[in-house]
Amino acid sequence: MSSDRFPITRRGILGLMASAALPMPRALAAALEPPLLAPLVYEDMLPALSDRVPREPRVVKLAEMGRQPGRNGGTLRMLIGGSKDIRLMTICGYSRLVGYSPTLEFIPDILESFENVDNRVFTFRLRTGHRWSDGHMLTSEDFRYCWEDVILNKRLRKGGPPSELLVEGQKPRFEVLDQRTVRYTWHGPNPDFLPSLAAPQQLVICMPAHYLRNFHQKYQEPNRLAGLVKEQRVDEWVDLHIKMSNSYRQENPELPVLEPWRNRTRPPAEQFVFERNPFFHRVDENGAQLPYIDKVVLNVSSASIIAAKACTGESDLQATSVDFTDYTYMKDAEKRYPVRVGLWKATRGSKVALLPNQNVSDPVWRALLRDVRFRRALSLAIDRDEINKVSFFGLATPSADTILPDSPLYKPEYAAAYANHDPAAANALLDAIGLANRNDDGIRLLPDGRVAQVVVETAGESTLETDILELVGDHWRDIGISLFVRTSQREVFRSRTMGGQIMMTMWPGLENGVPTAEMNPGQLAPTLDDQLQWPAWGMYYLSRGQKGQAPDLPEAIEQIRLLRTWYQARSDAERTAIWEQMLSNWAEQVFSIGIVNQTRQPVLRSAHLRNVPDTALYGFNPTSLLGVYMPDTFWYSEDTA
Amino acid sequence: MTSSPLPEPGAPLAHFVSTAPFDPNEVPPITDAQKEISKASQLRLMWWKFKRHKLALASGVFLALLYASILIVEFLAPYNLHTRHVDFIHSPPQRVHLFHDGSFVGPFVYGRDMRLDMDTLRRIYTNRTDQVEPLRFFCRGDAYRFWGLLDANLHLVCPAKGGQFFLLGTDRLGRDVLSRIIYGARISLTIGLIGISVSFVLGIVIGGLAGYRGGLFDLVTQRIIEVLQSIPSIPLWMALAAIMPVTWSPILIYLGITMILGLLDWTGLARAVRSKLLSLREEDYVLAAQLMGAKTSRIIGRHLIPGFMSHLIATATISIPGMILGETALSFLGLGLRPPITSWGILLTEARSVSVIAFYPWLLLPTLPVVLVILAFNFLGDGLRDAADPYK
Repeated sequence: MSSDRFPITRRGILGLMASAALPMPRALAAALEPPLLAPLVYEDMLPALSDRVPREPRVVKLAEMGRQPGRNGGTLRMLIGGSKDIRLMTICGYSRLVGYSPTLEFIPDILESFENVDNRVFTFRLRTGHRWSDGHMLTSEDFRYCWEDVILNKRLRKGGPPSELLVEGQKPRFEVLDQRTVRYTWHGPNPDFLPSLAAPQQLVICMPAHYLRNFHQKYQEPNRLAGLVKEQRVDEWVDLHIKMSNSYRQENPELPVLEPWRNRTRPPAEQFVFERNPFFHRVDENGAQLPYIDKVVLNVSSASIIAAKACTGESDLQATSVDFTDYTYMKDAEKRYPVRVGLWKATRGSKVALLPNQNVSDPVWRALLRDVRFRRALSLAIDRDEINKVSFFGLATPSADTILPDSPLYKPEYAAAYANHDPAAANALLDAIGLANRNDDGIRLLPDGRVAQVVVETAGESTLETDILELVGDHWRDIGISLFVRTSQREVFRSRTMGGQIMMTMWPGLENGVPTAEMNPGQLAPTLDDQLQWPAWGMYYLSRGQKGQAPDLPEAIEQIRLLRTWYQARSDAERTAIWEQMLSNWAEQVFSIGIVNQTRQPVLRSAHLRNVPDTALYGFNPTSLLGVYMPDTFWYSEDTA
Repeated sequence: MTSSPLPEPGAPLAHFVSTAPFDPNEVPPITDAQKEISKASQLRLMWWKFKRHKLALASGVFLALLYASILIVEFLAPYNLHTRHVDFIHSPPQRVHLFHDGSFVGPFVYGRDMRLDMDTLRRIYTNRTDQVEPLRFFCRGDAYRFWGLLDANLHLVCPAKGGQFFLLGTDRLGRDVLSRIIYGARISLTIGLIGISVSFVLGIVIGGLAGYRGGLFDLVTQRIIEVLQSIPSIPLWMALAAIMPVTWSPILIYLGITMILGLLDWTGLARAVRSKLLSLREEDYVLAAQLMGAKTSRIIGRHLIPGFMSHLIATATISIPGMILGETALSFLGLGLRPPITSWGILLTEARSVSVIAFYPWLLLPTLPVVLVILAFNFLGDGLRDAADPYK
């Protein structure tokens, strides 16, 4: 296609004049048009590339990253376990105001730049000419709308602003400095602000005001609003606004987004088609607009057969719903289908960990599980090398549930704490607690005469968990503790653990195994109700004392105290010191009994797909699954590799 | 007898009168064989009839042997149920050879080397044909507690000292599949028997009373049965299986599962008993017994039930496979028995992944005994039903 084939129209001439100002010649610009958009541009239904991207786009220098610049086009197929999993596109698309680089440093992405003064004053500057996916300008009005009309709206946000936006319960001062600049000012430091903007499920502080005004009571005529409420089959305008504005799960195909791909399918559906966002703000070093891939097709399938389907060439990129146990099968598929399988390193603190519930209702067990000697004994009794050999081909690392060597905060003693196999020491600890009496089978008796039977509950979704529990059960029998496994549904875990009905859970270890000092150490303290080792304490913190129970274990209270000082810390050195103190307490207290970490996560890709790392870190937080490795830079080549 | 010449064509046939003496009061002599038949009991007649059904007979012998074997599984299995061989995970079945280098050495297996293929993450086993490991018989192997009473370590067959013998391969924890199938038989086969006894007691008592008494009791029972039969069985099993406390010992769980299977299975039998009794209670001998003052329980138990016992036996043999399948299905869904108890259903549950079919097909072998036992029970039931009415 050459430039002389363009019809001369008013818009075309304007475009020509505009592009004359740019260094990029028009012919080159046309050649760079993605195949999906070229006909639209040709028919003048869409502005040319130079008008679509911001004046200063984010230039991704692929060669510098050790990758190859590619070419536009192609369709990427992926499999998801349910229609809710279309959030995968927002997680992996990873278009954020501020995001993590592959080395986990903050970089401006949608923003042109940001300024952070003492974690207190944040000034955000937008790119000139940055547009939403429907072509409207992204301006500071979108931030103002989100802040004043959504977050501060009593009806839209019944619980008030999200906790990441509050410092000691205080809201920030929000200012619009000009069309492209906004500022948030808190009275004290808010170190959570940037990490929550870079999170897989980002904190939303910017919404397409021009579109969402249609659903807001303040801006829409009551009659039309009532009509829309009826049309969308919701009860009132609040539900309508929430439904239409969900940007995490892009269920509304009309919602303007800033992501690389936007949904074109209205749920419910068995197949979701995402098309490229024509106004996406990233380009490669040659000026080609990202994402390279035109369309992403998500097929809904039963989660249990996703591995099998991916291995018959039904997916071009698959990392979710496949596990290490499927690797042999996936690797074998390389012979039959043009797919390649890489092994990434899981960032969880432990593949699975045993979480002794500090809030269990049985008083005898509660006393035992709160006794650090008991937890240490259980940990020391586990032969992690055998588990590693049997279930992980020796590829994992026996370790306590702690951070990985890839984190700058890592120290070997955290991983080694009570993770060696020492049944003699474990027996001595249990004898010292006062569990010296045993029954005829050699199982210890509790102080009240009952047999020491630990019931471990697991979601039982894979044989891996039950295998590990079977091995652990054998190891524990050597120290006179018998283990029973109960499988129950994932959904009921939280309430049952909080109610104290569950003694111990098998659950994945620490979510973020590769933290930096800038990230919140909340996972080491009772801060969330889904921390199954102390859900009632976590609920207490989360609800600011409204629900749950106040922690009454000094070691847990200490973790919360340290977390509070982390919020106040002024320097990275201070934050690092607090992280280290919390990690060392965590390791000494064995609140979570880790088994192995640094397990491998298979990532399957089409052999034609380029720029997918062969190995990298894989986890939800902070790497947003594939997100920080920029799936928008993946492209299709004709030859396989 | 004198033979007269044929009459002329067209002439009438001459009247023939036998000249032999005839005594109308004489009883014709019977052969010894006939004598035996006439004196044979009902049971004996059934046995004769049954013997002629060769397939049923073979099935009967096969099942008898299997049930006898569950008494001595510890001795029959080469390994214990939970013995793990961490160095022999997912080892394929080993072939038993007789000849090595052209000379007879008796049954033996070749030693095996395991190599980890770190590229495909598979364990690759190769036979070492220089390493002959003769099997030992009546040998000392894994120690076990026979019937929970005696410490013993005698096994029918063991590997050579320091060697391994996995006739049907090993699973993902390196446990011998053959040993686990043999141990699983103990649970899977008895669950049918215990379950069927529960359902028989319930079926005969409730069905018998309903059929004999009739009236309101019959009406209520019939409606209850209809309700029970209309509930989809799998969700009901799931609900009942879920209420069993996890800390119950595996034996209690096992008994609980058999009770559940029995409690749900009696309805069909109760119906059959009722309809049979409805017709039998009109017989004269029942009236006679009633006039002589017999109690209800005696009339049902002594006079009515034996009248269709043969039918009950046939029903029972056909229901047992249903019980075994029920246990397999429940365990397969993860709701029935739980490890460490091992049944065939549990073994199959552990084999339900795509990589098993692709790489470790020997883990599906527990289906084989399930199929064989169910076929055998069906043939046996068929033969018994034919034999139950020996005069036909």
